[in-house]
Amino acid sequence: MLDQLLLILPMAITVIGAFFLMLLSWNKRFTLKDYNLVAVFFLSLSFILELPQLWNTEVIYIFPEVFGKMYVIDNFSTLFDLMFTAGAILTLLINTDYFKSRNYFNGEYFALILFSVFGMMTLAHSNELVTAFIALEIASLSVYALAGYHKSNRLSSEAMLKYMILGSMTGAFFILGTALIYGAVGSTTLGDIAAFIKGSGDSETLLVITGGTFIMVTILFKIGAVPFHSWVVDVYHGAPFPVTMFMASTFKIALFAIALRLYLVDFAPINAIWSELLQVITVLTLIGGSWLAITQDNLKRMLAGSSIVHSGYMLIAISSIGLGSQEAAPAIMFYLMSYFLSSVGAFGILSFIASRSQKSLTFEDFKGFAQRRPYLAAMMAIFMLSLSGFPSTIGFLGKFYIFTSAIESGQILLAGLGILTAFISVYYYFKLIAMMYFYPTNESQKRFPMDLSGVLIGLMAVLVIWGGIGTGLIPFIPGVDGFIDIAKQAVLSLQ
Amino acid sequence: MTPEPFFALATLLFSMGIIGIISRRNLFVVYMSIELMLSSVNLILALFSRLHGDMHGSVIALLMIAVIAAEAALFLAIIVLLYRQRRTLDSDVFSKLSQRDTL
Repeated sequence: MLDQLLLILPMAITVIGAFFLMLLSWNKRFTLKDYNLVAVFFLSLSFILELPQLWNTEVIYIFPEVFGKMYVIDNFSTLFDLMFTAGAILTLLINTDYFKSRNYFNGEYFALILFSVFGMMTLAHSNELVTAFIALEIASLSVYALAGYHKSNRLSSEAMLKYMILGSMTGAFFILGTALIYGAVGSTTLGDIAAFIKGSGDSETLLVITGGTFIMVTILFKIGAVPFHSWVVDVYHGAPFPVTMFMASTFKIALFAIALRLYLVDFAPINAIWSELLQVITVLTLIGGSWLAITQDNLKRMLAGSSIVHSGYMLIAISSIGLGSQEAAPAIMFYLMSYFLSSVGAFGILSFIASRSQKSLTFEDFKGFAQRRPYLAAMMAIFMLSLSGFPSTIGFLGKFYIFTSAIESGQILLAGLGILTAFISVYYYFKLIAMMYFYPTNESQKRFPMDLSGVLIGLMAVLVIWGGIGTGLIPFIPGVDGFIDIAKQAVLSLQ
Repeated sequence: MTPEPFFALATLLFSMGIIGIISRRNLFVVYMSIELMLSSVNLILALFSRLHGDMHGSVIALLMIAVIAAEAALFLAIIVLLYRQRRTLDSDVFSKLSQRDTL
């Protein structure tokens, strides 16, 4: 009993922290800094309590006599939890200046962040479709509200409207899929669904396949795959910078938690049915995302377009899973880690710079940036190199494993297209690096104080490089192989 | 009880919801179309619950009503906010983020 409580403590602390912040925000005496500290305190506590569970290799169902098999704790969900809490902590700490420079943030903002982290954690732990849906809604509803947080800004409200209408519509597809699967199986627990699929013929699983396809629509929408991508660029543009950072780096990863659990384990015997569908969507996502990223002048929109391309790379690996590749699932986990590190850093620098100006950032604003802020420019260059998959960064290894898994499963054309889009992505990432280094600046050099945001962004840059070339020789610090082992171990706990 | 008419009704309601979202321009009607889709799924859940002879589906439908209510709260809030900003609920007005001028 007590040990089970200890296991769910990280999630409990997040939601307690959210309610605590809501109560605090009622009091007008506290400043934004206090709220930020309280939120970071709760999230860090949750992160620290979660860490020892990374070495816990068994699969535990929480309170089985009450919840059945709804709620599972395994290595896979623990790794995702760590990424969610780390993402939220970094979002809050890096954006301290941004919160100070805008007057529309208040205590509820931090409560909403904690609620959405709680939703994502529940999503990673859920072993049942209705739990997953409710967790997804908790996370999405908080993110909708966050996207429209700049109440007096028309762009922000419009972004929230677009996101909400499309998000709720696709949410209806998730629950429709759940209803159909319930109709066929008589239960919504993932293990029961897997047992049903194994034990019945083609005609009986038809309803499960239809339901699974509907659920896939929701997942593809939320990660921004191309036929469902229309919201991504607009919402990323309209939302405040810290929210864009949170959505791009943390919320996107959360969807892969449920997608992997569903399609890796429970729909495994019928996975091959979807692989053609997924291949078409992957091709569209890679090409469409590249097109969107190339045509943008605004940096936020460019990164939004490029995040669609990154979803495309991960979709390559998901369709490889369906075709029986063993390397694909760890490849996705590793790619998620690499994408998380690089995008947190890139968006972090953008919002760090945006906190000092009121206009939106375009490529032009970065002309001569290397002269003005040499260290920040170097870090930005590292993140851009990692996002484009340049060797010696973690992004290169992520792409390497994805393409290896695609070739292993015989999708050579898809791997070729992926490499081609990686070449194309060099254009829009290196455009920024060229802007920073090859143009003279027309502003005078100012001295900026070194603060926590800068240190954290620097730490992310070091991690990005370490993930590309780090060795396992130093004790207690995992090198590249260590990262891959963590990814493999997490995926193993699913089966 | 024959379930077919109920399935037909649920399908009809769901399709009406999708068509409403695509074709209507007033944000309130769009919002109601989404509610219609979610409610039609509730009908399917209740129906399957009856066919299976257990209560799982009905319980899920009850949980769904709570989720729909939470969504409604947020939707009404954004609709009020948008009406205050622009004095209209025509969805064509909200196109500041669209790329029509850049492409």
